[in-house]
Amino acid sequence: MEDVITDIPPPSRFFNEDLNNFALPSPALPSPFFVFSKPDSNFPLRPSLLVVAISPPSIYLLHHCIPSKTLIGTLILPEISFSGNPIEPSHRSKSCDIYASIDDPAILFMSVQLPVAGERAYAVAKLIIDEGEIRPERVLILDSVQSRNFRGNLSADEMLVFKLETSSTSGQQMVCGVGWFPSGSMVDGLGAALLTRCQMRRIQGTLCVSWPECGPSAVALVKSLLDNSVLSKLDVRAFDGDCDVGFDRIKDSELYA
Amino acid sequence: MEFILEEGKHLHEECSTLILPALSIGNVGQLAIDLLVSSMGADRVGYLDDPFVLPCVGNDAYGSASRGDLALPLEAYDSPSNALSLIQQRSPLVKGKMVEFAKSLADFAISSRKNHVVVLSSLDAGRRKRIDMSSEMQIFYLSSTHKDGTDDHCEKMGWKRLQEYNPTERKWEFLNDLAEGKFIDEGNWPSEDELIDEDYYPSLPFAALFSCFKAKGLKVTCILCYCSEGDNVPDSFQLAEATCKLLGLSISNFHGKQGGGWLIPFSWTSLYGPPPDNSLF
Repeated sequence: MEDVITDIPPPSRFFNEDLNNFALPSPALPSPFFVFSKPDSNFPLRPSLLVVAISPPSIYLLHHCIPSKTLIGTLILPEISFSGNPIEPSHRSKSCDIYASIDDPAILFMSVQLPVAGERAYAVAKLIIDEGEIRPERVLILDSVQSRNFRGNLSADEMLVFKLETSSTSGQQMVCGVGWFPSGSMVDGLGAALLTRCQMRRIQGTLCVSWPECGPSAVALVKSLLDNSVLSKLDVRAFDGDCDVGFDRIKDSELYA
Repeated sequence: MEFILEEGKHLHEECSTLILPALSIGNVGQLAIDLLVSSMGADRVGYLDDPFVLPCVGNDAYGSASRGDLALPLEAYDSPSNALSLIQQRSPLVKGKMVEFAKSLADFAISSRKNHVVVLSSLDAGRRKRIDMSSEMQIFYLSSTHKDGTDDHCEKMGWKRLQEYNPTERKWEFLNDLAEGKFIDEGNWPSEDELIDEDYYPSLPFAALFSCFKAKGLKVTCILCYCSEGDNVPDSFQLAEATCKLLGLSISNFHGKQGGGWLIPFSWTSLYGPPPDNSLF
């Protein structure tokens, strides 16, 4: 039984520090930055499309079903330790790698595999969208429905996908056959920060959120989404239904380097 | 903080009064703004880009057509027929950045030539020290009109000045110093262990907004009501009605709904989550 006295309050209610003018801010962190394998490239890069994979299924898909890509750089968050990362890129490593599509070099992929705190999302989004070495024309963000912020029913055996778009995208859809995210629910974190940045800078941006958050069915759902999107002409391999896309929060904790 | 005009829109100079929410228990100020924007048919004119507001996005909070108009964390609306601007804030702030945020909002109010700011906030009913029979629907206020926080117009309406406001008390003074940009030694910053009961009210976001707007020479009125966590929709109606009373607005003239009156925002249909699963019964 829930303990209403000691349990963390539901997400729509405030923590004490949210309502305290005298709460001390956390120490300032160094700014995030990009590192590219070819530092003498012609910057800023201006891809016609930047695909940002945030959800575990989309990250898995990027690693295992889109083979025609080249690692060109990475985004560094100085506060994140890389200890425990394998040498070769993996969908389980703690990194934020950037790839160029071999089929279409005007398309870049970004695989966000490290935890971006809400307080950091603004700075990271600013770097990715309009203040770093990448200035995308269009942005497609693949994230998950967040059960804590979703006001509808979410069943573990139900598959859902929704979208939100910037006003600049009107009439030039990046994904087809996907309904609008229902009013009253919200998305937060890096995906939200990226789409907000696109809206403010009048860049075409689409955020797709899918459910469930993990498992083979989630990967298959994201695969079908990409098959009906601006990526439909890319070589996206069939998903064989066998994957280890877990939602293992313990392993993501920094206690387990 | 940067104000970004929505494409094809412009600010209306006649909108000289600004209404905005303070983060508070039950999200009452934010709900009241939702109700006012929806009922007035206020038009979104732009966004405020601030690094201290936590990111969030959603679908249009007001229209039932669900066309996919983005809802962003900090939005500015104008209602020229009511000479009002409104700001809606949908997410909390980065910890410890409330005063900086309030200063930025005050700068925005100055640059957009507002001459009156109305802050809507709730207060924790569990913190009340005095309750009387008539106090359930009582509106409290704080005004920059007089030094003691009173305002004759608010008094005539039967509102009560927040008694816990004491500009000479240490935390109110400290907040005032912060708002005026006076240098504060880090050693003098209050630790959370030092906070006592009297520090509760000046620690609340509405107090930071009040102090920062006042420091800029703006007329500011805080409209306050006590409530507890729960279904806070009735509390939001109370604050929204009080706002209309303060500004002399007639709800029957609102344009959001044919024939006037309150128009419930579409997003409120799922305010407390989905209905229960009927298969349980």
